[in-house]
Amino acid sequence: MKRSRFIEKSLMGTVAFLRESVFADDYAAKKGFLQARDPRFKTAAVFFLVLSVLFSRDIPAIAVIYLITLLSAGCSFINPVFFLSRTWFFIPFFALFIAAPSVFSVFTPGEPLASFRIGGFLLQITRQGAAGALIFFSRVLVSVSLCVLLSLTTKHFALLKVLRVFRVPQIFVMTLGMCYRYIFLFIGIIQDTYTAMKSRCGYAVSPVKGQRIVAWNIATLWQRSYQMQNRVYDAMLSRGYTGETYLYGGFRAGVKDVFMLAAAAVIFFFVLWQTYCSS
Amino acid sequence: MANILFELKQAGYSYFGRFPALCSVDLTIMQGSKTAVIGANGTGKSTLLSMLDALIFPDQGSVKAFGMPLDDKMQENSDFTMAFRRRVGLVFQNPDIQLFCPTVRDDIMFGPLQLRMRDSEAAKRQDKVVTELKLASLLDRSPYQLSIGEKKKVAIASVLAIQPEVLLLDEPTAGLDPQTTRDIIDILVSENLSGTTLVTATHDLHIIEEIADTVHVFGLGKNIIRSAPPEEVLSDRTFLQAHNLVHIHRHRHKDAGVSHAHQHDVKHHH
Repeated sequence: MKRSRFIEKSLMGTVAFLRESVFADDYAAKKGFLQARDPRFKTAAVFFLVLSVLFSRDIPAIAVIYLITLLSAGCSFINPVFFLSRTWFFIPFFALFIAAPSVFSVFTPGEPLASFRIGGFLLQITRQGAAGALIFFSRVLVSVSLCVLLSLTTKHFALLKVLRVFRVPQIFVMTLGMCYRYIFLFIGIIQDTYTAMKSRCGYAVSPVKGQRIVAWNIATLWQRSYQMQNRVYDAMLSRGYTGETYLYGGFRAGVKDVFMLAAAAVIFFFVLWQTYCSS
Repeated sequence: MANILFELKQAGYSYFGRFPALCSVDLTIMQGSKTAVIGANGTGKSTLLSMLDALIFPDQGSVKAFGMPLDDKMQENSDFTMAFRRRVGLVFQNPDIQLFCPTVRDDIMFGPLQLRMRDSEAAKRQDKVVTELKLASLLDRSPYQLSIGEKKKVAIASVLAIQPEVLLLDEPTAGLDPQTTRDIIDILVSENLSGTTLVTATHDLHIIEEIADTVHVFGLGKNIIRSAPPEEVLSDRTFLQAHNLVHIHRHRHKDAGVSHAHQHDVKHHH
């Protein structure tokens, strides 16, 4: 019984997460600081900041960029709980797991910070290992936060158009656009399938049967996705889609956009100077 | 004399070259006409609409639209393709497939913008369909949050915003409540009165007299087995029953329960 509730919770949780994350256009429609910025300048500024984070070896510098990210999210009326829950889980969490072994002297020799024994085996955490892991984790966290912030404050179609402005190949942009639409449909299908399954099997499904049902679900979803991909593309073609995206209003840059981009570029060049020239 | 918009001669189509979906169809659609395509499930109605919308091309026979052949080579002629998309709109049977934008507003604007209309023109068209179809309260909502009736209306609006000369509709009233069905019929009738050519595939026989002046009946051979005015087709109950278009159910006539075949179209009072 508990296992069956676990499947239900996992499935519905995933669906709710996808729906909130992928279709969080409510935030993009708000009249906040980042929403008002030209998507081209905003994307370029985020790109500069992500590069700054990747080049920096200095935790305080990365922390300052993270602070800027959080302030921008606040000025863009993004719910802090929503933002933090989406940026601290998954990728940064996995990054932490990946980086965890490197804190030990076995992988990163150096000055001991702490030591303990497990089953008679001495483990030492080194200062160099801990610093390396912290920098890796910080870089991942801040980069993910910046990208999430960009996607939350920019309409889906505008982002696709920006990719084309930056000369990303049309086929890539088209595929991304279609993925978005498929996810939209799959969320509905997953929910409907699960409801239909529940109506026929009830809640009390044995773990083995539950696993089998989930496996069927995945197989059916694959078949349906194959059938649907043509129909969705047809629906787009039918209304004139040719692979390029056309937006209402186009893009309009202002002084604030230029200032924002200039500030991001200054941060990037400062980080470069700090990393490679200051010493 | 009205112009011929579509002309199909012995047109056929098979999925994957193996599963026939449409066989030897001869059909002419005149400008300003109202055409209904009826038939049991799997008789080729949706395939026909896809062919008329140039989403698939015949592997037998030929299809002409506005005097030009619809075939694979059409895609090479971007001017004709763009002009064709401006002139022909298809409302899909499943609105979830058709509504793929984040908001209703984006979905309605999608067609006009992709067809390179100016922003001011696209906005004007959006305002027009929103007013006509009374969709103002839905504009900023996500399509997946809507009821099936609302989705259907938005799907129709998203195509009407293109202001096509030909409106192809795949089961526009299937599964809808009576009031929404009425609203959609009113929209279609009004569009036709303003000159739009209608081609509707449907199972709902009760709407046919209003949305069609010619009915083409598709048979299990995936071809047209009869073409006639609606009143002629609808009055031939033996024919309709033989092709799964009417059903028999039991219901009460005053005090006595009776069982007989009828279609829910006109003047049948339980």
